[in-house]
Amino acid sequence: MGTQNGLVIEARKLTKIFRDFWHRPKVTAVHGIDLEIRQGEIFGLLGPNGSGKSTTLKMILGLLHPSSGDLTVLGKPPHDVAVKARMGFMPEESYLYKYLTAVEILNFYANLYGLSGSLKKERVEGLITQVGLTAARNRPIGEFSKGMARRVGLAQCLLNDPDLILLDEPTSGLDPIACREVKDLLLGLAKRGKTILICSHHLADMQDICDRVAILLNGDICTQGTVQDLLINPDTLRLSLPAPPRETLSAILDYIEQETGRRPVVDHTGRTLESVFIETVTRHPSTP
Amino acid sequence: MMLIRTTAIAWLTVREAVRSKLLLSLTSLLVAGLVGLPLLISSDHTLAGKIQIILTYTTTFATTVLSLTTLWIGCGGVSAEIQDRRFYLVITKPLHRYELWLGKWMGIMVLNVALLALTGLIISTMAHYTIQSAQEPLKEKRHVSEQFLLAHQILRPLTPDWSKITVEATQRLVQSGRIPEKMTTEALQKKLIEELKIQRFTIPPKGGVLFSFQRPAAETLGHDLILNYRFDSTRPERTPVAASWVMGNTPAHQFHIGVTNYPGVPATLALGDDVSAATNILTVAYQRLDDDNQATLMLADQTQEPELLVPYGSFEMNLMRGLFVILCRLAFLAALGLTAGCLLSTPVAVFVAFFIIILMASSGYVEFVATSGVFYVPHEGPAPVQTWLDKMILSLFHFFHGITLPLTRLDPVPLIATGRVVSLEMTLQALGWLVGLYSTIAAVIGITLFNRRELG
Repeated sequence: MGTQNGLVIEARKLTKIFRDFWHRPKVTAVHGIDLEIRQGEIFGLLGPNGSGKSTTLKMILGLLHPSSGDLTVLGKPPHDVAVKARMGFMPEESYLYKYLTAVEILNFYANLYGLSGSLKKERVEGLITQVGLTAARNRPIGEFSKGMARRVGLAQCLLNDPDLILLDEPTSGLDPIACREVKDLLLGLAKRGKTILICSHHLADMQDICDRVAILLNGDICTQGTVQDLLINPDTLRLSLPAPPRETLSAILDYIEQETGRRPVVDHTGRTLESVFIETVTRHPSTP
Repeated sequence: MMLIRTTAIAWLTVREAVRSKLLLSLTSLLVAGLVGLPLLISSDHTLAGKIQIILTYTTTFATTVLSLTTLWIGCGGVSAEIQDRRFYLVITKPLHRYELWLGKWMGIMVLNVALLALTGLIISTMAHYTIQSAQEPLKEKRHVSEQFLLAHQILRPLTPDWSKITVEATQRLVQSGRIPEKMTTEALQKKLIEELKIQRFTIPPKGGVLFSFQRPAAETLGHDLILNYRFDSTRPERTPVAASWVMGNTPAHQFHIGVTNYPGVPATLALGDDVSAATNILTVAYQRLDDDNQATLMLADQTQEPELLVPYGSFEMNLMRGLFVILCRLAFLAALGLTAGCLLSTPVAVFVAFFIIILMASSGYVEFVATSGVFYVPHEGPAPVQTWLDKMILSLFHFFHGITLPLTRLDPVPLIATGRVVSLEMTLQALGWLVGLYSTIAAVIGITLFNRRELG
């Protein structure tokens, strides 16, 4: 599925310089980055606007040519058709043909993947159900909401059962439930050995699902590592315990302050707004 | 696999045209134009005039509309999808860019085939209906039908071997020592040919001229042979000339048709099918009957010579061949549009492609410049001296003339409109030149540019 060294994407000194009409350098969007993404991991590419993450993604997709450096995807140059056959891509915007229905557009993309007959029908029907578009399957994409169009975008990305999945802002435009479903779907795919590269601004979503992340700034990778390593603060602990009587808590805090020289911070453990929303909506009687 | 992908792109193009109501708008425009134009344009109030207007204007209208649309769809086919980034999801699929280009081209051609088929159906129906519903006498209707709703092969008169004749004449002049001084043999022969041609085609009062045609191999199947001719007079006033055509080789098979013609006006004569039954060479003689001293000159230019139209095949088959030639032109325009769209944004691509079309439309002037070597004919005095810039531009004109020659020569509209056959040779030439060569060159350039283009 992967390559001999287990690297699905490998970039060495990858650079992209945009030039003007006279071929003079205009902007260096990506500045000699090194990147290694292994099989089965979910890798997050983070960064502010203009940091070079979309340019990096486009080079991996073969839409842009690197100015210098080496880039291999699944062991081959990114523009190789054999690579594209094993790759799925979901862009940030739903660049879909608005006059086609959900089924028609998936059939069209399935044809481009060379799928035919029962396999094509099985994949299309399965994905329509999986992304929750059964009721809207025969409506033109032009009539879809942004979230529904995103679901079609996700379905087309999985048509070929890809080994490498590239996602640009995958949860953008989705409601929290759909967002959770997408995240669960991606975690499931990663468990099946699929490699996933995500570009996103939604740091909470990235924290939820990514194994490793890289933070880009002005075309350079500033930080790279596992989410756990990046988030952990080894000097601080968080302890959750049943709320004790006030006197007992005060004695514990005094003791800790005496031992460490710092007064601990105490607050109530709370739920995230996402978990409250999901619980409220899923338990509501009108929810199917 | 490649076929599945290319067909998918082609069907997407067709589906887009259908769903975006482009096909419906185009069909409505074509139907309205094809039916409405002959009603709007007045003819000479003869049935033949009406039919000629139907055939000329409808075919020209359909060709123009489809050419512009093809170019527009071609330009937008690639560039618009790059611009609105719909290609992101297509290019990232496992297909080569040439498959994408080819699929788009095929899609446009499917639309063109459908619209040309509709055009053919409407033109044919209108032409037949106009003749059938006309108030003219049956004989006139039959004559018009024979003239226009039948494909005719054109036969030109057999021409004398001018070089042999002039060589012999030159030898006689040399022997008799009557060659003017300072005149080369070549110049003399050239002058002799000109004089002999003038002699041949000048018909004095009571005079005549004989034309011989090689009889066609095919049967006429009961249809008329048609003789087209035109005379010009040496006098400015256009008084009618009475004459008699004598058809047939031997007195036993000869028959006479009396005619009165105005100089400068094209005339048509239906000969029936009897004359086709005799020998391999058909002779047709023109004998002036008037004794007026008006000299009637039949110009030596070959286009002014009489022509014999011999039935060749059905109008419908001829129309189909003509529409196929037009389809080949559209194939090239689609390739041109797609190629422009591969490199440029939609408005710029459309501008460039239309500029090329306008240049092609000015092929008459291009041909004049390329063949005459001057940009204009001066009213007085000698032609101005050409600078190096003029010479450079002239060579550009030569180049462009060479390129556009097949496009301008392969025009079936005048043939369809005058009942002349669109030959199989012409259709094959159109296929070879316009599809096989020109479209392929456009495709190679377009695909190469498209492969190199970044889609950021």
